[in-house]
Amino acid sequence: MALSRNWMYENNGGTCVAIAGSDYCVIAADTRLSVGYSIYTRDYSKICKLADKCVMASSGFQGDLKALQKNLAAKHLIYQHQHSKQMSCPAMAQLLSNTLYYKRFFPYYTFNILGGLDSDGKGCVYTYDAVGSYERVGYSAQGSGAGLIIPVLDNQLKSPSPLLLPAKDAVTPLSEVEAVDLVKDVFASATERDIYTGDKVEIVVINASGIRQELMELRKD
Amino acid sequence: MLPWQIFEYNGSALVAMVGKNCFAIASDRRLGVNLQTVATDFQRIFKIHDKLYVGLSGLATDAQTLYQRLIFRHKLYQLREERDIKPETFASLVSALLYEKRFGPYFCQPVIAGLGDDDVPFICTMDCIGAKELAKDFVVSGTASESLYGVCESMYKPNMDPEEQFETISQALLSSVDRDCLSGWGGHVLLVTPSEVQERTLKGRMD
Repeated sequence: MALSRNWMYENNGGTCVAIAGSDYCVIAADTRLSVGYSIYTRDYSKICKLADKCVMASSGFQGDLKALQKNLAAKHLIYQHQHSKQMSCPAMAQLLSNTLYYKRFFPYYTFNILGGLDSDGKGCVYTYDAVGSYERVGYSAQGSGAGLIIPVLDNQLKSPSPLLLPAKDAVTPLSEVEAVDLVKDVFASATERDIYTGDKVEIVVINASGIRQELMELRKD
Repeated sequence: MLPWQIFEYNGSALVAMVGKNCFAIASDRRLGVNLQTVATDFQRIFKIHDKLYVGLSGLATDAQTLYQRLIFRHKLYQLREERDIKPETFASLVSALLYEKRFGPYFCQPVIAGLGDDDVPFICTMDCIGAKELAKDFVVSGTASESLYGVCESMYKPNMDPEEQFETISQALLSSVDRDCLSGWGGHVLLVTPSEVQERTLKGRMD
């Protein structure tokens, strides 16, 4: 135990999903917080609003998750004072990557998805690993249920290969309502087989008219 | 190599689904040695009799050995009983055969699918030491099992007709193996109805 630093970490589970459309972005996460076979709470929000058009959903270790959210909020406050404006989503994506990589050898044990609108008003989703490697994608899933959800999203949304030239747009062809329904479906499915996903799913939709939030009940067992 | 990694040595994906008076069983076609692909036309689904199929995921050598033993035991059964084995009985036979090797198991996770009396579909899976898991909707096994669980949970609906079921199981298989490095290279799909058996081969991504 003394040799490993595993005791500093815990896995609190949780699943995050995000889908980018041409003029909207849907970001969702379940609200269960667990460790091992126990549930700490059924009502913990893993989604954090970082800027006007930028939200982050995270799973992993709740302690690091909170620290990361605080850190980004502080950095965003400084940015606002220096630049007199809200940070854009692509800028926040780079900031999150730098913040994660800064702790490369004692990482934040969090698996994040950043979603929002870019400066053209197009939906954007950024997906991360725990040490800051990131990519802009059309859709993504992270956390304990990601393995169950990703192939379903592949089937329904199919993303163009990043190797294609000229580069293809990664946004999905779905309408906002269809995307929200798809998110509800994949969470209902993941809840059936993943013990760390359940209770409720919090869905945040960002579009030109602002941010909207809704909750859907999931299985509680 | 750790003992449980033997299940991932060759790579595999298997799924079976129940429909309306029919069932479908599908597998991928890859045979690999860890990350290297050796064959792209590998069979993991075997016929026991016209209305009973078994899929064997896991270590390919054990799958083939187990298949030979299962054929042998079914022939003995046919000689003694003068009839084909029922799926439920066959599942118990596989289970007993696996448990015989409780402390030096075959590294296979079987999937059994068949039509029983009155053409009632039966599907079942078990672990490598024969613990049966009977399901009324779908069963999965192999290295792509997690993906398959997710996809089947989303796509499956009860009482599908054979054509609808073919589409569902094919989409499920292809989407799943594309997220698994160790399985893929197309698939085999078997659609079994009381009157006929259709065998189809799927093309898939070759990476």
